Amino acid sequence: MKRFEHINAKSVDEAAAILKAGNTSLIAGGTDILGAMRFEILPDYPEILVNLKTIPDLDYIKEEGGILKIGALTRLEDIAKSDLVKSKYTALADAAHHTASPHIREMGTIGGNICQLTRCWYFRLPDNRFDCVRKGGKKCYAMMGENRYHSIFGAVKGCVAVNPSDTAPALVALNAKIKTNKRTIETEQFWDMVKPGSTILEKDEIVTEIQVPTPPKGVISSFIKFAIRKSIDFPIVNCAAMIGKGEARICLNAVHNKPYRCINAEDMIRGKSINESNADSTGAAAIEKAKTLPGDRNKWKIQLARTMVKRAILGCA
Amino acid sequence: MAFASGGEAQAQEKGNLTPADATSTNTQSGCREPIELTVNGGRYRFHVEPNWTLRQLLRDEIGLTSPKDWCGGMGACGSCTVIMNGRPVLSCLTLAVECNGAVIETAEGIAKVKHPIIDSYIKWNAFQCGYCTPGFVTTAKALLDRNPNPTEADVRDALGGNLCRCGTYQQHPKAVVDAAQVLKGVKS
Ligand SMILES: Cc1cc2nc3c(=O)[nH]c(=O)nc-3n(C[C@H](O)[C@H](O)[C@H](O)COP(=O)(O)OP(=O)(O)OC[C@H]3O[C@@H](n4cnc5c(N)ncnc54)[C@H](O)[C@@H]3O)c2cc1C
Ligand code: SF4
Ligand code: FES
Ligand code: FES
Repeated sequence: MKRFEHINAKSVDEAAAILKAGNTSLIAGGTDILGAMRFEILPDYPEILVNLKTIPDLDYIKEEGGILKIGALTRLEDIAKSDLVKSKYTALADAAHHTASPHIREMGTIGGNICQLTRCWYFRLPDNRFDCVRKGGKKCYAMMGENRYHSIFGAVKGCVAVNPSDTAPALVALNAKIKTNKRTIETEQFWDMVKPGSTILEKDEIVTEIQVPTPPKGVISSFIKFAIRKSIDFPIVNCAAMIGKGEARICLNAVHNKPYRCINAEDMIRGKSINESNADSTGAAAIEKAKTLPGDRNKWKIQLARTMVKRAILGCA
Repeated sequence: MAFASGGEAQAQEKGNLTPADATSTNTQSGCREPIELTVNGGRYRFHVEPNWTLRQLLRDEIGLTSPKDWCGGMGACGSCTVIMNGRPVLSCLTLAVECNGAVIETAEGIAKVKHPIIDSYIKWNAFQCGYCTPGFVTTAKALLDRNPNPTEADVRDALGGNLCRCGTYQQHPKAVVDAAQVLKGVKS
């Protein structure tokens, strides 16, 4: 790894002040940012890394006033193992449990998971070899190239990369909010195609807490993931749903630049009792707007997305 | 051995110096604040560069060669696993400068305390090549520290981040469950 300066932040304000100046990046668990730095995938190598782990009190899971509150630095493994999360926020516990490998879950934080960079292989190629749209260049190499894992809901600002997070769709389905040092953001507004990142966070903005409203009794949530290998692999498609009591929220991920909420599908299943056939037709509704990329190499993901939605719904029965 | 001699000489010299109480081993000027950490029961103090990984520190400065580098530091193989403050972590994706105060255990430490996992791995033919075994054993020990009654499914789950290309995977759950029995005194 090339050299950089490393600062242990003592408070969120201090970290934000350092972020404001210069070419600086945050480090939480380090599982994403250190890989990006070692392989020099970004056009700008950070000159300063600000360590969030030295800030006290950002690692907690608690329920307060009908809201589950998770500190940004909470490890994914702790979320996956938490009885509280497992009991009422099933989709999130399952999503955390199915994220990456046990080791990465022991290190990776929920804040880092929702802020991670895309896994598009052109973007990720060592030494910043493809100056693609997401890096400020003119071309998307995946559009005409190898794109079998890329977007099935079209390009955003010329980029067809997907958001790879497993926890993100669970947070959207559970109608969570993301609190930062500056504001509280609805999960659905949190992501966008930003060069080269994937969130709408400002330069000196830091996620401090995830807030999930407690689902009413009788509302069930579920998460399902398809990956080539069971452990360690990023999702090819994943889906989370929360259904019951006239409520229905369904979110796919790894299918678009940000988690994709399936509004049509939600309208179809809301208020109905769940069975195989309406879960299937709801899955079909979820992919109504899907289309393949040039070359049709990602066509299979459309069928997969339909099945993931169906199974996520059945998981709420 | 010519290719290894430089590194070995350095490691030994450091090795002789370090297990004492918090002895500074590398005090080049221009370095960062020192960090102090406990590795396999010995106390160490180092001046580390911000871009050193924990794996570099353990291997190049302390001379512990069990944390390996299989996937090139991508976090994808688990061969560099060490136990840090009770958690199995990837030393290739951990910055040394962030290890101040940490308590770390490597496969060398697990062997030194004659942990039953070692014999169990041998008994069940669960060991793999030298590149993969330390990571598996370290992850398994971390599981046993936290869960004295693991099922084979628990072991499979816990070892899910240790990847290799060969074929003794199916022996690991048996070996780890067996080691748990020995630890509990049910078996010798
Ligand atoms: C081999 C491998 C397999 C993986 N598989 C999966 C998978 O299957 N599913 C999945 O979802 N992920 C997967 N990941 C990604 C992994 O889950 C993320 O790397 C991890 O969750 C990131 O958390 P972190 O704390 O380590 O983040 P870091 O690497 O520390 O940070 C990641 C990014 O987020 C920013 N950041 C971190 N915390 C904050 C904060 N509080 N506020 C604002 N910005 C912040 C950092 O600046 C950085 O840009 C995998 C990673 C690897 C290496
Ligand atoms: S999909 Fe996006 S990240 Fe990948 S090459 Fe195209 S512009 Fe770059
Ligand atoms: S070398 Fe650390 S995970 Fe492969
Ligand atoms: S045991 Fe090491 S590669 Fe198979």
